[in-house]
Amino acid sequence: MSADTFFFVGASGLILGGLYALMATGLAVVWTTLGVFNFAHGAFLALGAYVAWQVSDGSGGPATFLLAACVSAAVLFCLGYVSHFALVKPFERKKNMVLLSVITTLAAAAIIENAILLIWGPRDKQVPAAVEGSFELFGSALRYQDILALVTALAALVVLATFLRRTATGRSMRAVAQNREAAELMGLRTSHLFALTIGISTAMAALAGVFIGSLRFMNPSFGADPLMKSLIVVILGGVARFTSPIAAAFVVGLAEAFSTFFLGLYWSPAVLFGMMIAVLVVKPEGLFSRRTKTL
Amino acid sequence: MTAPLLELRNLAGGYPPVAVFRNVNLTVAVTESVGLFGPNGQGKTTLLKTVAGTLDPWEGDVRVDGERLNAEGRMRSRTSRHLNYDLFRKRRIRARDVVRSGVIYVMQGNLLFPEMTVKEVIEIAPAASVGRSGIAAMRDMVDELFPRLGERWHSRIRYLSGGERQMVSIAVGLLALPRLLILDEPTLGLSPKLRVELSAAIAGIRTMGMALLIVDQNIEFLTGLIDRLYLFDHGTVDREIGSGRMPSRQEIMAMMFEARH
Ligand SMILES: Nc1ncnc2c1ncn2[C@@H]1O[C@H](COP(=O)(O)OP(=O)(O)O)[C@@H](O)[C@H]1O
Ligand SMILES: [Mg+2]
Repeated sequence: MSADTFFFVGASGLILGGLYALMATGLAVVWTTLGVFNFAHGAFLALGAYVAWQVSDGSGGPATFLLAACVSAAVLFCLGYVSHFALVKPFERKKNMVLLSVITTLAAAAIIENAILLIWGPRDKQVPAAVEGSFELFGSALRYQDILALVTALAALVVLATFLRRTATGRSMRAVAQNREAAELMGLRTSHLFALTIGISTAMAALAGVFIGSLRFMNPSFGADPLMKSLIVVILGGVARFTSPIAAAFVVGLAEAFSTFFLGLYWSPAVLFGMMIAVLVVKPEGLFSRRTKTL
Repeated sequence: MTAPLLELRNLAGGYPPVAVFRNVNLTVAVTESVGLFGPNGQGKTTLLKTVAGTLDPWEGDVRVDGERLNAEGRMRSRTSRHLNYDLFRKRRIRARDVVRSGVIYVMQGNLLFPEMTVKEVIEIAPAASVGRSGIAAMRDMVDELFPRLGERWHSRIRYLSGGERQMVSIAVGLLALPRLLILDEPTLGLSPKLRVELSAAIAGIRTMGMALLIVDQNIEFLTGLIDRLYLFDHGTVDREIGSGRMPSRQEIMAMMFEARH
């Protein structure tokens, strides 16, 4: 393997990693805060991409793309906020809440996917890129849109981390994640904060969706693959720290890129699931460990 | 006569389907300091959580300034394999309403927010009192009452000792600018030295004119801080010891045993 190919495959792995990090962090934040694994996350991602496609209306360019991404994130934020009251809150005092939320989020995923199919039809679409074209680096061609995706993903994660650490609302979100009862007794609006958490997570999914939809083709069920990868990421990295799913996302992204290159597209899921099983066997506390909730 | 700050009328509650306390009548007047003493596991914490609004009362009223905070009537406890009654049943009392009314409950053995630093917790503590005057003054007061917290300003809550955590909990309660502060077993697991320190701090809070409702197993600690004492046993308030002379530990123990046998 030449250095050029190595660089090229590595770069595409990093870009994948950035998008997975964006998605998996959203999942992880909802998991640590509400104890709910949101199976509708992939459908929200797809919906975000379709909203952006609708807004950009066939034209590309930085301004249109920025507008499309912002509208998409805003719409999905509102949907996520509302979905707390529809999918989670009615069951929050039930003992089998975890199982119930699996069912409600799966139902939401099916509803969203079919709504997309109804509204936009089954044909493949693509969100027009912000910047067309590519440039040469170390002998391999990199698309500007790829670089934009990676930079935006990292920037969004930094913004989220700063928001959680520095602002009163972010700190309140961490508080309610760590001890709901104490937060309630302090007078924090727990339902609002939970809804906000889901809203932020779906907005991040939308952002990931807009980029995936601009780098590849999209169809109503194209969120399923990123959801699966994010699931692997969350299991691999655990949720003990804000950064653990991010680190794991890059591991998964690189592993996917290299296994796709060396073993072929059909083998890369096997490699990823193999890694996941190995982690589960050797270091099972990585899986949904709620013993340390840092958020 | 004006209504008492807090009044519990025939309050009953528990963890459905297990009834824990019933028929509780209790009042705390403005600026009064009241104690609640009783054996372990009898339902004092359950009672206080119901007052604070994290558990639904089954029967009876929680009144602040004469105004009822809970929904009227009894709780209907229905269960069904087919219907999710929780979906339709609203909460009968909301913690936020209780907090807004100025009644703040400091939980027993409070873990607070283990991964946040003292600074972060203290900074979000006035969530319920944002915009009200007096927060700055209360911050100074907290600094004065608990100078130890300044030393641990950047430590995470889970690395604090039990006593330090208790101080953060009380500080958080104070920053909500309560009119009534409810303390649940503040001396639990504290060394005698820390107990003295905490006692001084609570005495300081009392001089600020804040009403207090304190539950504690340490009767010497308790009687030093209160005007009136309720004895709690068998899931209800057994008797009230008036504002005269506080009885000694032996006398209280004798009373409780009398009541039981
Ligand atoms: N979360 C809970 N679920 C069910 N029962 C509980 C729960 N917490 C406490 N209990 C029970 O309620 C009773 C009263 O407990 P508690 O209110 O903590 O008593 P106290 O504060 O007087 O020591 C005990 O028998 C205890 O086992
Ligand atoms: Mg107790």
